[in-house]
Amino acid sequence: MKRQEVTYRTPETAVEGERSVQRMSSNGSVTTIQLGSVDQADRPQVHLLPCEIEQDGPAEVSCYFTCAVKDRKHEMSVSFRGRGLKGQEVSCPHGYTGLVLKEDHKPTTDQEDRTVRVSSIFSRFTYWNLETPPNSDDVVVMAMAWPELAKAIHGSVDD
Amino acid sequence: MDLSEFEADNTVSCRLSSAIPDVCRTEDCCLGIDEAGRGPVLGPMVYGICFCPISKKDDLKGLKVADSKTLSEAERENLFHKLDEAKSFVGWALQVLSPNTISTSMLQRAKYNLNALSHDAAISLVQYALDCGVQLKELFVDTVGPAEKYQEKLSQRFPGVVVTVRPKADSLFPIVSAASICAKVARDHAVKSWKFLEDLGDMDADYGSGYPNDPKTKSWLLKYLDPVFGYPQFVRFSWSTAQTLLDSKAVPVHWDDDEEDGEKAAARKNCASMLSYFGRGKSQSTARETHRFFSERRLKTLDTL
Repeated sequence: MKRQEVTYRTPETAVEGERSVQRMSSNGSVTTIQLGSVDQADRPQVHLLPCEIEQDGPAEVSCYFTCAVKDRKHEMSVSFRGRGLKGQEVSCPHGYTGLVLKEDHKPTTDQEDRTVRVSSIFSRFTYWNLETPPNSDDVVVMAMAWPELAKAIHGSVDD
Repeated sequence: MDLSEFEADNTVSCRLSSAIPDVCRTEDCCLGIDEAGRGPVLGPMVYGICFCPISKKDDLKGLKVADSKTLSEAERENLFHKLDEAKSFVGWALQVLSPNTISTSMLQRAKYNLNALSHDAAISLVQYALDCGVQLKELFVDTVGPAEKYQEKLSQRFPGVVVTVRPKADSLFPIVSAASICAKVARDHAVKSWKFLEDLGDMDADYGSGYPNDPKTKSWLLKYLDPVFGYPQFVRFSWSTAQTLLDSKAVPVHWDDDEEDGEKAAARKNCASMLSYFGRGKSQSTARETHRFFSERRLKTLDTL
């Protein structure tokens, strides 16, 4: 639930049917992302909160949070720890899928190889502002424009 | 008392009212203001007004209304019933401030304290009576904060009305006692039949009076503390009782506008504290700064998970 950490993959990095994606880090250890579970992964509602919660693990989201969300006239509101939040839903950039990764065995040293699996996937999520209504200048909304821009910068130039 | 309008959405503030007696639109009236549930850490705070023609003050006295705090719950119910029976000349209106309204207001970026919240609730109720055509001439209020200042504020806000702000007004003026009964009955009902929007399963509703020093309230607050979300919206997060428990038993949550300072906060925010310049620390890394486009969007290149 850490703030501003949303992980994406482009469809190109994993070919259909491929079981995993690997990446070697600078110290030589290999991180493997198992993609085999993508099809079975659940698709929960994902919320991005405007605060840092010192917790990395399960939480009673539907019992305390989702049940309290109000969606009126295209403005969503809720409160968390007694503070008022206003939010809206955004979609992941076209061609991208959001992944929630889970590491079942945490490495004890940074030399060890690591394996993570896809625990859930999402194509849209709700981001929340502290008290201020969502607008197009919000960091998350602006960040979603990068893939489009990256494509334009790195794509081939046609005459 | 019918609270269904509030119960339909108990996360916001709600106004409930009786019909306006016709005689109140034609005769000079007095109006009393009182509140219930200011102190508790649980449930709504209710502001109440009650009004009647000045000529009917003795009739009101005849109903034997008294300060709601000196009465049992059954006696209050009975008196509210009597007020309802006197609807030909007594009217009332309530502002129910949900615990969520109280929490989010008091914890707002631009702090909105309980006194200001209370004053605004009281003023909006008096304005409501005026808007309904009540011929208001005398206003009696139990004090919230310093009496003189509040009296001045109300006199300015309602010119032509004689304002009396007095501590213990609820035991001195029957019209204030009547208002206090309406408010307290609503508060009792709201607390007793609170519909939790959170799914807490078979919840133990034995939360006592809701006052922070009530042992039942204390043990309920301990039992229903969630490490991430804290409490259901029945609890006023802005109360120090709730905050102290959250600080010690729930996971810490940091907001942009937190007023923390010192080395610890700086370390958490990953920037240097003033003090670090005096120590013989490690030299600052000379990593290339990313372009503003990325920092403004908080986009980072990840090379490890």
